[in-house]
Amino acid sequence: MATQESPPPGTSSAMRNAFGTVLSALILLLIGVLAFSIRLFSVIKYESVIHEFDPYFNYRVTQFLSKNGIYEFWNWFDDRTWYPLGRVIGGTVYPGLTLTAGTIWWALNAINIPLSVETVCVFTAPVFSAFASWATYLLTKEVKGSGAGLAAAALLAMVPSYISRSVAGSYDNEAVAIFALIFTFYLYIKTLNTGSLFYATLNALTYFYMVCSWGGYTFIINLIPMHVLLCIVTGRYSPRLYIAYAPLVVLGTLLAALVPVVGFNAVLTSEHFASFLVFIIIHVVALVYYIKGILSPKMFKVAVTLVVSIGLVVCLIVVAVLVALVASSPTGGWSGRSLSLLDPTYASKYIPIIASVSEHQPPTWPSYFMDINVLAFLVPAGIIACFSPLSDASSFVVLYIVMSVYFSGVMVRLMLVLAPAACIMSGIALSQAFDVFTASIKYQLGRSSNSKDDAEDNTSTNNAPKDDSSSGKTDKGEEVAKERSSKKGKKKEREPADKPSVKSKIAKKRALVLPLEASIVALLLLIMLGAFYVIHCVWAAAEAYSAPSIVLTSQSRDGLHVFDDFRESYAWLSHNTDVDDKVASWWDYGYQTTAMANRTVIVDNNTWNNTHIATVGTAMSSPEKAAWEIFNSLDVKYVLVVFGGLIGYPSDDINKFLWMVRIGGGVFPHIKEADYLRDGQYRIDSEATPTMLNCLMYKLSYYRFVETDGKAYDRVRRTEIGKKNFKLTHFEEVFTSHHWMVRIYKLKPQKNRIRGRAKKLKLKTSSGLDSKPAKKNPWI
Amino acid sequence: MAVHTTLSYRFFLSIALLSILAAVSEPTDLTTELVSLRSSSESGVIRLNDVSKFITSVATPRPYSLIIFFNSIDLNSNPLQNFRREFGFVSASFISNNKNRSDVTNKLFFCEIDSSDSESFHRFGIQSLPQICLVDPSMENLRHHERGMMEEADVDGTAESVAEFVESRTKLTVGPIHRPPLLSKTQIGVIASLIAISAPFLIKKFLKGETFLHDSRFWQYGAVLVYFFSVSGTMHNIINSIPMYLRDPEDSNRLVFFYEEPEIQLGAEALSVGLLYTGVGLLLAYVTDALVRVRNVNEQRVAMVLVMVVSFLAVKRVVYLNNWKTGYQIQMYWPSSWQ
Repeated sequence: MATQESPPPGTSSAMRNAFGTVLSALILLLIGVLAFSIRLFSVIKYESVIHEFDPYFNYRVTQFLSKNGIYEFWNWFDDRTWYPLGRVIGGTVYPGLTLTAGTIWWALNAINIPLSVETVCVFTAPVFSAFASWATYLLTKEVKGSGAGLAAAALLAMVPSYISRSVAGSYDNEAVAIFALIFTFYLYIKTLNTGSLFYATLNALTYFYMVCSWGGYTFIINLIPMHVLLCIVTGRYSPRLYIAYAPLVVLGTLLAALVPVVGFNAVLTSEHFASFLVFIIIHVVALVYYIKGILSPKMFKVAVTLVVSIGLVVCLIVVAVLVALVASSPTGGWSGRSLSLLDPTYASKYIPIIASVSEHQPPTWPSYFMDINVLAFLVPAGIIACFSPLSDASSFVVLYIVMSVYFSGVMVRLMLVLAPAACIMSGIALSQAFDVFTASIKYQLGRSSNSKDDAEDNTSTNNAPKDDSSSGKTDKGEEVAKERSSKKGKKKEREPADKPSVKSKIAKKRALVLPLEASIVALLLLIMLGAFYVIHCVWAAAEAYSAPSIVLTSQSRDGLHVFDDFRESYAWLSHNTDVDDKVASWWDYGYQTTAMANRTVIVDNNTWNNTHIATVGTAMSSPEKAAWEIFNSLDVKYVLVVFGGLIGYPSDDINKFLWMVRIGGGVFPHIKEADYLRDGQYRIDSEATPTMLNCLMYKLSYYRFVETDGKAYDRVRRTEIGKKNFKLTHFEEVFTSHHWMVRIYKLKPQKNRIRGRAKKLKLKTSSGLDSKPAKKNPWI
Repeated sequence: MAVHTTLSYRFFLSIALLSILAAVSEPTDLTTELVSLRSSSESGVIRLNDVSKFITSVATPRPYSLIIFFNSIDLNSNPLQNFRREFGFVSASFISNNKNRSDVTNKLFFCEIDSSDSESFHRFGIQSLPQICLVDPSMENLRHHERGMMEEADVDGTAESVAEFVESRTKLTVGPIHRPPLLSKTQIGVIASLIAISAPFLIKKFLKGETFLHDSRFWQYGAVLVYFFSVSGTMHNIINSIPMYLRDPEDSNRLVFFYEEPEIQLGAEALSVGLLYTGVGLLLAYVTDALVRVRNVNEQRVAMVLVMVVSFLAVKRVVYLNNWKTGYQIQMYWPSSWQ
């Protein structure tokens, strides 16, 4: 604040600009620190570990990359997963995240900072969150000036929706992808504002980075064409638009096709068709404008008929070809996940594996309050502000918010894409509101003095005490931001578009004021709103989104309980089983098993083969003997189930079981969901159906459970279980973790089936001896 | 049971032989009557007013099967009428797919009985709708017709399920289902010609920049509207087809508008919260965009106070509702000495 008050009245504007730049840089630095540090709760409260499921896979890939180098990585065929099929990792992952973290690790080691790969992976997401908030500043600055930019950056640094995906340890694609998304948009807007080919090229390169990082890149390649189309339709075509769009499509598509996982999809699937269609349209329109430029108005009228009709014919042909192409492919050329966005009921009807994931469900209103909090109130004001006046850049962010808010309404997971848009909009709204209120206060206080310069300088002094009164430190950032926008930002923002009107507007604004006391109260209310946002975000970061889900804690009267059962069990597997043993579990635990126990799994979280998952689902839903046969045919030696009934851990396998039945039944019709339900209700107590009580999942979960408390009371389902005393015939328990959360069973050897037949038994044992050395390494 | 079946089977067989010998003309008359009834109906579904004539008073085995849809126009239920329409598609498809094979089409007739004919409902022992029943040639006792009833799990309201049911029970093939296109050919023609005629005018207008697309207000309202619908979670309600409100199970006069569980929301609840979300933003925009242009200071003052009070209450209300619904209480992180 001291720096702000120091310039005496009458300092040259250059001096003020310099101060503004330094202050902006300082604020941005603090925003970066904030974005990084708010994501460290998980490390402080738990420890520096990789979280959840997918990050473990990414971690394993990064380890492989850092150990074997990039060429090995591209050609990596992983035989530890999807047994017996295996998986070509190099060709099926989005390599952006892995390459980023691998490069960081390599660079740090090259300058003799010996960090482990795990540490680099844990902190990649927080670092990129700081980058993302800086990118947001740049983007919003292009749209509405640096004041709005700083506000938006501060909001994004702590928006809960983004925090949920980028806490330290959450090493997933989204961590770097959101930065790439915002930065791509920034470069697009920058190109649109400047018409510079340099930025257009950079834009294609960041788009390439985005394609490398996340499947969500299709959002970009559909949103930008839509914006271009919108500009054309509303008569805003300009050469700048052409430069912003055409290089992106050409270079971007070529670069995208270089990524193995995308490959020819970049030109073959209909997610990309919109961009090509608009590419054609923009050329037609450019031709029209060119001809308009070289012909006299009369001649042009003649020519227009000709060009329009030719253009229409070309478009019609292209549309027809596209429709034919789309119609000829089985799903209409759209992948299941994208289809569920357009027809929201699609996934729940036809693809249980998509519908089974809770983050693919449509959200209710509390989700918005949880994930973007008070921004939900501010966004409409931001939308309105973007329309006064409407520029190419502001129309883009309006389109961005509209699209992302619609898609987030379909799939809760896409709230992540909405968050930056909501921050930008709210930043603009807050900036404008502070602008108006502080300008009013300044005007009312300085009415006595007629000089404009005096009035302007008063703003800074007036604002200073208000800043101190605000509770959160980010509010200071926001408020200072407003100030900047009122002075320097306004001048800079729309230089290319409508320079002359800006000055007159500022002059006009002088007179547009609100009453003094009402403005002060309004300011205080806005600051309160901001403070509430800060508190909510800190709470969300600390309490809601920091749990690594691999280590669980619970707070009870007699202190903190730590449940470290998962790591205990994976460690048991890696120490007590053979390196080549196959472990079957539901797909959720596949990545963790390969990464932490280094054992081969049947299915994992990369749900690429529905039949294989259905096989495991069927085994889990079958009676013991049938399940044993299925598992035995897959060479499975151990079966791992997660059970929460003892400690009340709700996301265990019994709660996921109906999805196993559904997915299994989708491929193997003898598994019927109705057999597991009593009057349409899923229950495991004495009212449960015999099919349910005899299926493998029930038995493996509740085996010996009655020995814990004598009653076999399940704390998740809040009931006593239906069948308490039973023996296992084809499986034997080999390990149960401390809190019974993970239970591991071994398949009993086949000899049980031919008991009593001495001859065969002899033969069997001898052949068993023969097969033993062979079994040791079946896959090499 | 087995003895009984074979006995009754023999009995039916002898009756059938007898009836074929004695009264050959009667069933064929009935068949021709059914054919004429069918041809008078558009989709080929016969409104069966006289059950006894075609079913009970005809000696088994009858030369035809009847598949009966139990309908209730009075019930005025949309899903039921949709299902009835689908049933009509199956009937029409069956007839058109087997056009030149009267031996097939005269074996099976699609019928419908309305609930106004309560006697027939009683005869079939119909308790719930929708229900479809296949009366095969040998069926005698209409009340014990488990074999002919479509299973509840299969009654999912699609033409395909009905066709599958028919094919599995009668060994007749229905063939592909022909649904009428969304727009008839003449409608498509009219629309296409309208577009063709208006295209030059539209293009001219468009090039001049005079359409509603060039009006930024259109986009502004549109954007806010989309925001409103999305942020209130309308998609959730559409996908799960959730009602606007519920009746209190304990007191049927009380309506429940708010549901205390974060995963589920009712329609009215969603819209009202969406309105609060959007309203606050719009009020803020009103103050910063419109109110500043007002010249009268007192007017400004009153409006601002109103706006601030309303916004404050709206935000407070949403925070309260959220805490109530999710059960979360946000920690305020005051210094420990303050508590």
